[in-house]
Amino acid sequence: MSREVELYEKLSEAVVEMEEDDVIELANEVVAEGYDAYQAVDKGLAQGMERAGELFEEQEYFVPELIVCADAMYAGLDILKPHIKTDAEGTKYTVVIGVIEGDTHDIGKNLVKIMQETGGFNVIDLGRDVLPSTFVDEAVKNDADVIAISTLMTTTMGGMGEVIDILNERGIRDQFKVIVGGGPISQGFADKIGADGYSTNAAESVRLLRSLLQ
Amino acid sequence: MSDVFSPKERLIRTLAGEKVERPPVICPGGMMNAALVDVMTQTGHLLPAAHKDAALMSALSADVAQLTGFENIGIPFCMTVEAEALGSEINFGTLECEPKIEREVFPDVLAVDYLPIGAVANAPRTGVLIDAIQTVSKQYEDIPVIGSLTGPVSTAASIVDPMTFLKQLRKNRDDAHRVMAYVTEQLIDYAKILADNGAAVISIADPTATGEILGPKLFTEFALPYLNHLIEEIHAIHVPVIVHICGDVNMIKPQLAQLKSNAISVDAMVNLQKLKQELGGVTVMGNVSTYQLEFGEADAVSKSAERLMSRGIDIIAPACGLSTSTPLANIEALTGTVKEGI
Repeated sequence: MSREVELYEKLSEAVVEMEEDDVIELANEVVAEGYDAYQAVDKGLAQGMERAGELFEEQEYFVPELIVCADAMYAGLDILKPHIKTDAEGTKYTVVIGVIEGDTHDIGKNLVKIMQETGGFNVIDLGRDVLPSTFVDEAVKNDADVIAISTLMTTTMGGMGEVIDILNERGIRDQFKVIVGGGPISQGFADKIGADGYSTNAAESVRLLRSLLQ
Repeated sequence: MSDVFSPKERLIRTLAGEKVERPPVICPGGMMNAALVDVMTQTGHLLPAAHKDAALMSALSADVAQLTGFENIGIPFCMTVEAEALGSEINFGTLECEPKIEREVFPDVLAVDYLPIGAVANAPRTGVLIDAIQTVSKQYEDIPVIGSLTGPVSTAASIVDPMTFLKQLRKNRDDAHRVMAYVTEQLIDYAKILADNGAAVISIADPTATGEILGPKLFTEFALPYLNHLIEEIHAIHVPVIVHICGDVNMIKPQLAQLKSNAISVDAMVNLQKLKQELGGVTVMGNVSTYQLEFGEADAVSKSAERLMSRGIDIIAPACGLSTSTPLANIEALTGTVKEGI
């Protein structure tokens, strides 16, 4: 195995193993030894996070583990990002994500954001307790491709349909893919309100985005 | 079927594992409260004002029991009393929308400011709750007043940024335990003052402490011991305790078997009959889908209630937090069906 590949694999491993200090050390080695920072992110950090996501889906890892892995990944990203040549990333799709008005539970939304960023999407986080009209305004303003709406509360599910209603009223429904998720949400609910997609967890949302945007 | 026991006797007997003529049908308050818009608009005792006004709170809590048919009075109508007392900023919401944590006061477990014990029990809003509980427990002697608490993990995650808190369960274990111990002591003190003033039962909802969020290992380390300590201290003053666990409990069944509460309440996706068998006949509560209660037909709700009763579920209740726009007719179908018996 070449030194380059070894470094990428070690980066991936350190992310999965939640070893933030090792990630920092390895990322610095990538930079110092002049290897491709973009490859280190893609084949190292992102791959490690993808494996962490798999462990999460297999219920080997849970929310705390996934957050610690993400912290390690972001620590590496901070070091490698300034060294990525700007054209290496290609065109990125943009997602605006938020928790719908009335709900301040944002753990799930934060996990989705982490996994989508890892998956190569440009994610704009609107935070929690977001008005339906704000989702639309921000999506337009940021020229987004996807609107991702989360909720944990049955009380607030109605707001998700409102986002789609507003898009329809403004005649811009077909400019965006709308995906929904969260505790009380189901595929049936997503279909009912006319969303483009639903996923049960953060890791799956990345696959959903890829299939919707192909 | 004519009732043998008063609602209070029936619930207390059920929680003690004694025989009753039919299951109680309740909605404990707190996260699971039934202050529906339909109720409030009939009586004019409105949220959010009733969160902070003892006369309105006692009146609304009694309205809820009378109009819904739930066989308890549940106080308070939110999960923010504890976090507010410990420093977090609260948004009291609207008529339709429950209060929520606007901002957790501490960025991480290392930044927590340890207030003296009594900070929750002596907080101004606890005073409102105490007045309301005193009033309704005297006025309605046959109806059990349930004091609802936010569980230790959820309270901790309401004063410390939740993402950081969850991460620090792994990265700063000792400091996380220190915060958990602190929060638990505050909750013990708070539960006791609610009970001393007339709460016949304490209900604890801990929505952040789920198997799905924490996983079995961290649930065992951070949720179970503090819940059990809280329960034991409440038992020491001879008050029964209900614990509600959100989400799918499949992977934390061994931990639930160790839970010392008098009843376990779970979400709609859990097969309660099976859970009861697996946990050695523990008293179980639940679990009519809140989605069905909001969007379903009254007949379907009645059938759900019948099905739960026929399967030997000990206490019939909504499976989780009710939407405030749930139609009163569906709640009446639920409580009416249980009261008719099978």
